[in-house]
Amino acid sequence: MYFTMFMLGILYAIFGLFLIASGMPILFVGGIVGVMVVVQYYLSDRLILMSTGAKQVSESEEPELHRMVKLLADRYGMPMPKVAVINTQIPNAFATGRNPKNALVAVTTGIQQRLSERELQAVIGHELAHVANRDMRVLAVANFLVTLTSFLMTMLFWNMLFGGMGGRRNNGGGAVMMVYLVTIVVYFIGQLLVLALTRYREYGADHTGAEISGDPGALADALEKISGTVNQIPDKDLRKLQTANAFLIIPAALKGEGSMHLFSTHPPLQERIKRLRELEQRMRYGVR
Amino acid sequence: MSTVVKAEAKLQSLGEITPSRRAGVIYRNSDDVAFLKDIRTELDTVLYQGVGATKTAFEIVDDDRGMRWIVLEDGKFNDLVSSVYTVGNAIGANGGSEYLIAAVFELYFTGTVEDNTYRSGLRTYWIYRYDRKAFYPFVPTGENEGDRDRPTEARLGHDLRKHGLTIEKSLTEWMGLWGIPF
Repeated sequence: MYFTMFMLGILYAIFGLFLIASGMPILFVGGIVGVMVVVQYYLSDRLILMSTGAKQVSESEEPELHRMVKLLADRYGMPMPKVAVINTQIPNAFATGRNPKNALVAVTTGIQQRLSERELQAVIGHELAHVANRDMRVLAVANFLVTLTSFLMTMLFWNMLFGGMGGRRNNGGGAVMMVYLVTIVVYFIGQLLVLALTRYREYGADHTGAEISGDPGALADALEKISGTVNQIPDKDLRKLQTANAFLIIPAALKGEGSMHLFSTHPPLQERIKRLRELEQRMRYGVR
Repeated sequence: MSTVVKAEAKLQSLGEITPSRRAGVIYRNSDDVAFLKDIRTELDTVLYQGVGATKTAFEIVDDDRGMRWIVLEDGKFNDLVSSVYTVGNAIGANGGSEYLIAAVFELYFTGTVEDNTYRSGLRTYWIYRYDRKAFYPFVPTGENEGDRDRPTEARLGHDLRKHGLTIEKSLTEWMGLWGIPF
């Protein structure tokens, strides 16, 4: 993970120097994007409440949920976060907040219904781990870099379009074109690095959450339940399949999941579950 | 098949599982195959004659779905596994390979409830599908088709894979066998 952060730092340091050298109004653009990101960072809990339709709930409204969050927050040594519920059948949960003092944890009614107490506790533990690990801060920096680059890309695009049509610029067109191309490349590499980074933070939160609860299996069970992977196990009896064509099925080959991994913010579920199960084994029996 | 012995030994040493004395091979019966027609005599030869014969007791059971089971019983798990292997091999090598469906091992969980391990006393089967050349766990919770403890199966699947057993990757292929005659 530190390697990824390091690469991201290097990438943008070089890019910054390149922009300054090419005479771009980098401070101006950086300033605008910076303000946007900072606003987002400070208002994240309120913005999330607005955009997801999460409703903050009091202790009397959701005593069980409050008790669970309180217990976990205590274990992390953080103050009691705000608790919210989203009224939807889709099982999900998230936490936000720039620091433990301003944290908000939200769960959907769908996840409340589906998971056992032990599993829900593991999920909330995972979300609070994001807060405890200050993942919002990492995300804000990453967000800043990516937004900045995409902003520049748009700006340069229009600049080229109109600059080109004006056609009176001496020498400018080629240089702008070059900056534009570099920006595109940086944007894509940066994006991949940021995605890798968020995936590492996911594993990190899985791990922290497991340490706090002492029960990594609970999160693995929860993930399996939410993802519906377990429900792939069929109702069908094997004897119904005993026709000749059953033997033509290609044996369980490695299915190509390949490069799609590069573009996702969450690590593949199977991998997370596998790591949690391994952690469970280690915690149960000591390192083997 | 030797991985079965290893995976079982590992889980048993962790105090999580204990094998029962029984296992079985299930196949679609056919009189077109001479070996299957004379199965009793053939298995007597295969399991009882020759050096190193396991002398595992066996029984032939026809289930209500028209399938035939060779139910094997042996107190030594190693012998039980190698007998299952031998029976499957003998049928496969004598023209019956397309009739073979699965090999099934019966085991019991011995883990305790308190520390969130498997529920003690729960019966589980490890099914080996001959067509897929892979294992998967099966934990029935009733006699009706579809009655099974999926979360426990998923969990056990992870453990078994970790201990070296070739586990069927596609969960949709983990088909159950309800009403196993042993």
